[in-house]
Amino acid sequence: MNIDYSKEAPVVAGRLSLAEIEELVAKPLDTKPDRKYFIALSIAVSALMIGAISLGLSFYWGLGLWGNNQPIGWAFDIVNFVFWVGIGHAGTLISAILFLLRQKWRTGIARFAEAMTIFAVICAGLFPAIHTGRPWLDGYLLPYPNQHSLWVNFTSPLLWDVFAVSTYFTVSLVFWYIGLIPDFATLRDRTNSKIKKTIYSIFSLGWRHSSRHWQHYEKAYMLLAGFATPLVLSVHTIVSFDFAVSILPGWHTTIFPPYFVAGAIFSGFAMVVTVLVFVRKVFNLENIITMDHLDKMNKVILATGMMVGYAYGMEFFIAWYSGVQAEQFVFVNRAFGPYAWAYWIMVSCNVIFPQLFWFRKFRRSIPVMMVIVILVNVGMWFERFVITVTSLHRDFLPSSWGYYVPTLYDFGLLIGSFGLFFTLVILFTKTLPVVSISEVKAVAEGAQPSHHGGVVNA
Amino acid sequence: MHNNKLYGIAAIFDNPDKIIAAAKKTVEAGYSKFDVNTPYPVHGMEKAMKLKPSKLGFITLVFGLTGSFLALFFMYWTMSLDYPMIIGGKPFFALPAFIPVTFEVTVLLATLATVIGMITFFFKFPENHHPLHDTNYMKQVSIDKFGLVIESVDKNFEIEKVKDFLNSLNPISIEEIYYKEKETYSVLEPRFLTFLFAIALVTSGSTYFILNKLLYMTPFNWMSEQLKLNPQKPSELFADGFGMRNPVKGTVARGFMPYLAKGQNNPTELLENPYLITEENIKLGKSKYLTFCSPCHGNYGDGDSRLRGQFPNPPSLHSQRARDFKDGMIYHVIVNGQNSMPSYAPYLNVEERWAVVNYIRVLQRAKNASDSDIQFVKKENLNNASN
Amino acid sequence: MHQTDFNYTYKELPSSLKKYGILFFIVGLFLAIVAFFVDRERAIFNYLVLYAMLVSIGLGSLFLVALEYITNADWSVPFRRIPEFLSGILPLLFILVIPLLIFNHDLFHWTHKEVVEQDPILKGKEPYLNMTFFVIRVIAFISIWILFYWLIGKNSFKQDETKDQNLTRKNIVLSAVFVPIFAITITFTSIDWLMSLEPHWFSTIFGVYYFSGTVIAALSVVTLIVVHLKEKGYYSPWISEDHLYSFGALLFGFVNFWAYIAFSQFLLIWYANLPEETFWYLTRWEGSWSIFSVLLILVHFVVPYAVLLSQPSKMDPKKLKFISIWLLFAHLLDLFWLVMPNMSKMKSGYYFSWIDLVFPVLGIGIVMIVFHYFSKNKNLIPVGDPKLQRGLNFHL
Repeated sequence: MNIDYSKEAPVVAGRLSLAEIEELVAKPLDTKPDRKYFIALSIAVSALMIGAISLGLSFYWGLGLWGNNQPIGWAFDIVNFVFWVGIGHAGTLISAILFLLRQKWRTGIARFAEAMTIFAVICAGLFPAIHTGRPWLDGYLLPYPNQHSLWVNFTSPLLWDVFAVSTYFTVSLVFWYIGLIPDFATLRDRTNSKIKKTIYSIFSLGWRHSSRHWQHYEKAYMLLAGFATPLVLSVHTIVSFDFAVSILPGWHTTIFPPYFVAGAIFSGFAMVVTVLVFVRKVFNLENIITMDHLDKMNKVILATGMMVGYAYGMEFFIAWYSGVQAEQFVFVNRAFGPYAWAYWIMVSCNVIFPQLFWFRKFRRSIPVMMVIVILVNVGMWFERFVITVTSLHRDFLPSSWGYYVPTLYDFGLLIGSFGLFFTLVILFTKTLPVVSISEVKAVAEGAQPSHHGGVVNA
Repeated sequence: MHNNKLYGIAAIFDNPDKIIAAAKKTVEAGYSKFDVNTPYPVHGMEKAMKLKPSKLGFITLVFGLTGSFLALFFMYWTMSLDYPMIIGGKPFFALPAFIPVTFEVTVLLATLATVIGMITFFFKFPENHHPLHDTNYMKQVSIDKFGLVIESVDKNFEIEKVKDFLNSLNPISIEEIYYKEKETYSVLEPRFLTFLFAIALVTSGSTYFILNKLLYMTPFNWMSEQLKLNPQKPSELFADGFGMRNPVKGTVARGFMPYLAKGQNNPTELLENPYLITEENIKLGKSKYLTFCSPCHGNYGDGDSRLRGQFPNPPSLHSQRARDFKDGMIYHVIVNGQNSMPSYAPYLNVEERWAVVNYIRVLQRAKNASDSDIQFVKKENLNNASN
Repeated sequence: MHQTDFNYTYKELPSSLKKYGILFFIVGLFLAIVAFFVDRERAIFNYLVLYAMLVSIGLGSLFLVALEYITNADWSVPFRRIPEFLSGILPLLFILVIPLLIFNHDLFHWTHKEVVEQDPILKGKEPYLNMTFFVIRVIAFISIWILFYWLIGKNSFKQDETKDQNLTRKNIVLSAVFVPIFAITITFTSIDWLMSLEPHWFSTIFGVYYFSGTVIAALSVVTLIVVHLKEKGYYSPWISEDHLYSFGALLFGFVNFWAYIAFSQFLLIWYANLPEETFWYLTRWEGSWSIFSVLLILVHFVVPYAVLLSQPSKMDPKKLKFISIWLLFAHLLDLFWLVMPNMSKMKSGYYFSWIDLVFPVLGIGIVMIVFHYFSKNKNLIPVGDPKLQRGLNFHL
């Protein structure tokens, strides 16, 4: 394991030529899907259907079908919302923040992660919409001059959410689409099918790889990255405000904004690794999504996992240090009360197991990695569960204490959101290039003029 | 192909170093209407082509600032002017709480303006009928080749000279690119007008439908149509149409003890007075006595109220019989009523009844005060005066 | 085709560094001692501001070094020596902390036994906030920092001669171990020295808040020195605009990060409006302190944001120099704003005294002397680092 630090590790392995890269990425789009694909798709769609049925029944009979009840008025709906928004953060992090930090290894995974962002935000957006109970009235969330001559409450964090999530979705989509334009043009120029060509032409807008355009394009990409970076922080910050501006012990704590953002990146990266491990195997992209990339992502998971651990610790310490009884009770109750099982699942999955990533051997082992990232996904879901439910279930008066038990419909909706996510992911892999062709070409060996220091592994 | 017009002459190169050199030389040779097409952005191309820095940032800045100000102003107007409401004890113009939305709107407007500005203003897209499309040249630069094309509109353009120049750059191949002149259509073409009309119809129709119909359709209205008591309407839940029901027989209200001797004229068991005579208790009794008892029994219990003579005379409370009553008996009379006196139980609670009893005792003693009582009161008055 | 014309020859830093350093130090020290006799409480509070500033620069520099190792960054390699020299402040902290420990009674409300006895909340905090444990923490933290400073620095300097790549690997491991420890120690350092000045107040984000300022301070000093040395010809011609751009971009990023953390803390406390938290901000809105609060937003965020926003200004040496001095002042102002309103005489508002101007002079002297002392006979560029060539060739 002797690394030569004087040389940059190649971003694209296997000394692929530009044409080979393109061939590799575009191949899934040219071939008919096989049986495995349909099996995977049918599993995902079945899960989606479970969700759809639960949702239909929830609307028909009302939200009384869910387990939410006093004092736990917020449960799976908000837990799933925060979970999915968190998953969505990895994509923008990879495409924007790593872009600004000039991490070339992002090119191989950026497209996929961005797509996952969009799908995850779709899943996330679903929950606030349905938890209103009458989603056909959600239009009132927008500040338009309505017949009540009332305006929305701009001082409410729930309204900030509406703005944050919709802005985030729009910007991610635009960012994603901008990245796709050159690839659409490339696909247009290589296909022989007339229908495909028409579709690709429409979406490529007539892109012709002109350097006069590339100049603006790169500038725009940088500006968008510059905006997406604070945006991605702001979104989960605002999600954390939903909790933290209240005066509920366990919710009201100042570390929530950075803590939520770190947690979001943590869970998002875990989800990206979970999916990428399959994608690189199935589509033979091992040379483009290399072990080095997974290694680096696992390092990010380790780092953000420790940030989350830091926040857990700080919350506990300051709860004791504050001298506020209610605050102290909530945290003791969290760790040793009736929901202690959820708390310790959270701590072990988020803080303890990722410590294995200290070792290079584990960071680069697919089975170990798979187990850990799935545990992280579970742990991060439980983190939101712990924050929401344990803070609520023991109200200030013991007469209003309760114990939340989710119903089948709650689980149905959770499964359904996973179904929706994976259905979209699976459809995406066969309709659009899962790796940015132009970006990967740009960082391939010998792709840049030699005098410009861009030569990789020369 | 000869009916077509010449767009330009293109050369293909096979590595990034060559294309950079070619771009530099093309600029040096004095051509300005040329373009370089590469499958990905090649570093250093801007300098080689001598392009001016992109002005895209200005669009971003202008629209970003517009977004900030619009959002802030809008929130100020709605929350402080148009419909001011106190929310959470915050001022009408709660600046810290407005910052998140201001930020989001800024980002939204800036990014959308950047992208739309770039595509429409800088790229002049969509443009799927550019002469370069569907050429062999385009297919190659789309994959892994690097192309340079000098356009025929350049002021120095001469076919042979350009060809010689390009050949001198050592390309893999050279290609002449032709295009068909575009047909133009009049704006007043009936088909186009019909199309516009159809769009207008669909847009306005669907807007009307959504805003005036769809928004008022409730898919599930269990909540408004459930069995419940509607104001000003007879109840559908009970045969007698009353929504308010009497309590079940034997219901005991919270905080009330049933009075077991109710209805008896000469109760056998009388209650003991549980209240001590305190100043507060007497004050309460006085106020209740003056409200409920004095209209008949008179302000001092003499039975000398205005009702005297119009009614079976209310008895004096100073008769020997009344003075011999035990406390429990007076309480019984208050609760139960006597002769033509009705029950006062609905108006006085337990504590108030006993307070009235105590007050009556005070009146009785005052009316039949002993000498020692008078001496005591005199002394008290003197004390009060000297203080 | 690489720029292989890199030849480093050792060049002594000008003697004026030492001269001015000693001048600043002696003048500062003299005035500081006078200040102690004039108004001891004000002097010790000011001295705490200076101490926190020096911790920011010293510890922040060590963090920057560690950050370079764990992120495997190459652009910053040619400048790594600057933060390495600056983290030489860390061993000095043992001496610098002594006056604070001696005069702890003037600083900390919770050191007064009779007050603690009557205050159930302070009584509850006593297991943490007591002098014995406090001193143990201070000594332990400084020792840990010095340990890592010594280990990482030793490997780095050894590499100049041996050019051994294993040393880089060792330092990566050391840095990876250091960063979590850094996070914990800096948090409790900030709680001990800054938050416990107002022992009733608490905020979970406080450690992150101090960290954001720390990085700005360290980065500003490094940028200032790099740009200055470049202008004096110590770095040219190896340093391109792209290197400077990286400094500018990082500063810009951390200015935003600070604003984000500061705003998050303020918004949550302002919004929830709980009396046990808001009083801390209300103190800083009392009388003339409100001017400082507004000034902090302007100085620490608005101005640097506007200056660094455009791409060309991030690589303009003049602007970078200006903004790094500006940001150092901003961090000082931030610490001043955190510390001074806790002084009993200034609870109701700020009033001016010359004492406030003395301690920064002393601080400049200390930093200059430290830099001079540690840079003596050392290469200004880590010539043995395997990533050096990559760093010099760095392009955006």
